[in-house]
Amino acid sequence: MKHHIENKIYHVEILPPKQDSEKLESDLENFATKFNRVMESGYCACITDNAMGNLAFQGTEMITELGLEVKPEQVMIHLNTFHTKENLDEILNTCKERGIKYLLVVSGDGSDRLPKLAPGDIGATGVESVTSVELLKYIGKEYPGDFVLGVAFNPYEPEEHEFEKMERKMAAGATFIITQPVIERNPIVDKLIAKYPTVPLIVEAWMSKKLSLLSEAVGYEIPEDTPYDPIANLKTLHKNYPKCGVYLALLGFKSQYDLIKDTWK
Amino acid sequence: MKIVVCIKQVPGTNDAKIDPETKRIIREGIKAITNPFDAYALEEGVRIKEKLGGEVIAISMGPPRADAVLREAISVGADRGILLSDRPFGGSDTWATSYALAKAIEKIGGVDLVICGKQAIDGDTAQVGPGIAAQLGWPQATFVMALTEIGSDYFLAKRMHEDGYDIARVSLPAVITVVKDINQPRVPTLKGRLAAQKVDIPVWTAEFIGADLHKIGLDGSPTRVVKTNPPPSRHTNTMKIEGTPAECAAKLVHELRIRSLV
Repeated sequence: MKHHIENKIYHVEILPPKQDSEKLESDLENFATKFNRVMESGYCACITDNAMGNLAFQGTEMITELGLEVKPEQVMIHLNTFHTKENLDEILNTCKERGIKYLLVVSGDGSDRLPKLAPGDIGATGVESVTSVELLKYIGKEYPGDFVLGVAFNPYEPEEHEFEKMERKMAAGATFIITQPVIERNPIVDKLIAKYPTVPLIVEAWMSKKLSLLSEAVGYEIPEDTPYDPIANLKTLHKNYPKCGVYLALLGFKSQYDLIKDTWK
Repeated sequence: MKIVVCIKQVPGTNDAKIDPETKRIIREGIKAITNPFDAYALEEGVRIKEKLGGEVIAISMGPPRADAVLREAISVGADRGILLSDRPFGGSDTWATSYALAKAIEKIGGVDLVICGKQAIDGDTAQVGPGIAAQLGWPQATFVMALTEIGSDYFLAKRMHEDGYDIARVSLPAVITVVKDINQPRVPTLKGRLAAQKVDIPVWTAEFIGADLHKIGLDGSPTRVVKTNPPPSRHTNTMKIEGTPAECAAKLVHELRIRSLV
């Protein structure tokens, strides 16, 4: 992951089509176009896993069914705890077969329609439910050396709790961190960098102007009329966090993609 | 085992409008989804097929666009789908619908088990499953939360009650209605979804299933909706509690106590 930061490789979020899409064909086409564009740009495509609990198709099945070419250094799959054991192993095995090595392991957002891994499914003991920590341990044990595992950090959660969780995530095998969206600078993220100076850190840049979604992501209300320029924020993040990578959330491929190529210099 | 699963397409919204003239839900322009309880019925049918072998047939009655819920059913394991769609079916109440579905089940032939969701989220009547059983003259078990044993000519059904459950031994062929506790429906795969889009969904008419036209549609419906009212809106209030974790916990307990919730 250090190589991504050193070579200024953006992490570009791509959302797979939702399960209830009424225009699946065009959604699939859009996904393939975005994926291929990220590959051509030399960036890393980060494919979400039922983001915000919305049922969507899996990144691995999208790549398989659409016959997309994976460049191993350029694909990251998000993986959460809302899967059956069978489905989890299917995803991990497909990643192995396709040469996908970067996984962002998160607890995730559930929904009534999604199954949830039980501790017994993955051999976890002494816990009541499976979180990213147990999932990291499982992947590390069952797929040793196959993946580079990253975890999420939320600077908007109670600080003590989040840092304690991060310690457990690191102990469970995490080797890089991606934050929740950061607007310009965040003192808790600064503390995270100070605490883990050698761990590659990627800050999330919110590229959408939909601030209601950002409010959901950060957990506090940001009024819709708040002035917000995503590109300006991206530039500020590079300035404030020069040694960090950047994850571009909800990037506008039509309106913003061409604007970002010169922002990281 | 030959299993039929009944699936209804319902409005995917809590804000459906009622036509003041017909007293029916205005479905045009509203996103339509599979009745959530029917997803559990389908999952159970597919699980039984995977365990015992056989066939799962998804059946729905509705307008032509209801074929979408049958394709969705096929994408998660149903072998085929049948749509009952014909003008004479229009206006059927639960009894007339039960009759039409029962005639289609007879037309399919050799069916061992019919599975329905406990109710549809639009009408909330919970009448169609039992209605099909009555029309066919088959035994039924409603509010099934588990099938604990399935033999060649019977099954044991664990049925949910308000205060517990009972276990009923039911002879096949039979009809069951299921509750959410029975399983966790699988999520369609992209491969399944794409394959289901290419499947032909046969449309069966009233004539094709041999339905008596006096028993379907408005003529065959002994009930009429004479008046509808929207439910009173629910009032919610969100409060943000700030402070240290200990302060927040204390404030939360205080707020719950003054509302007599703890």
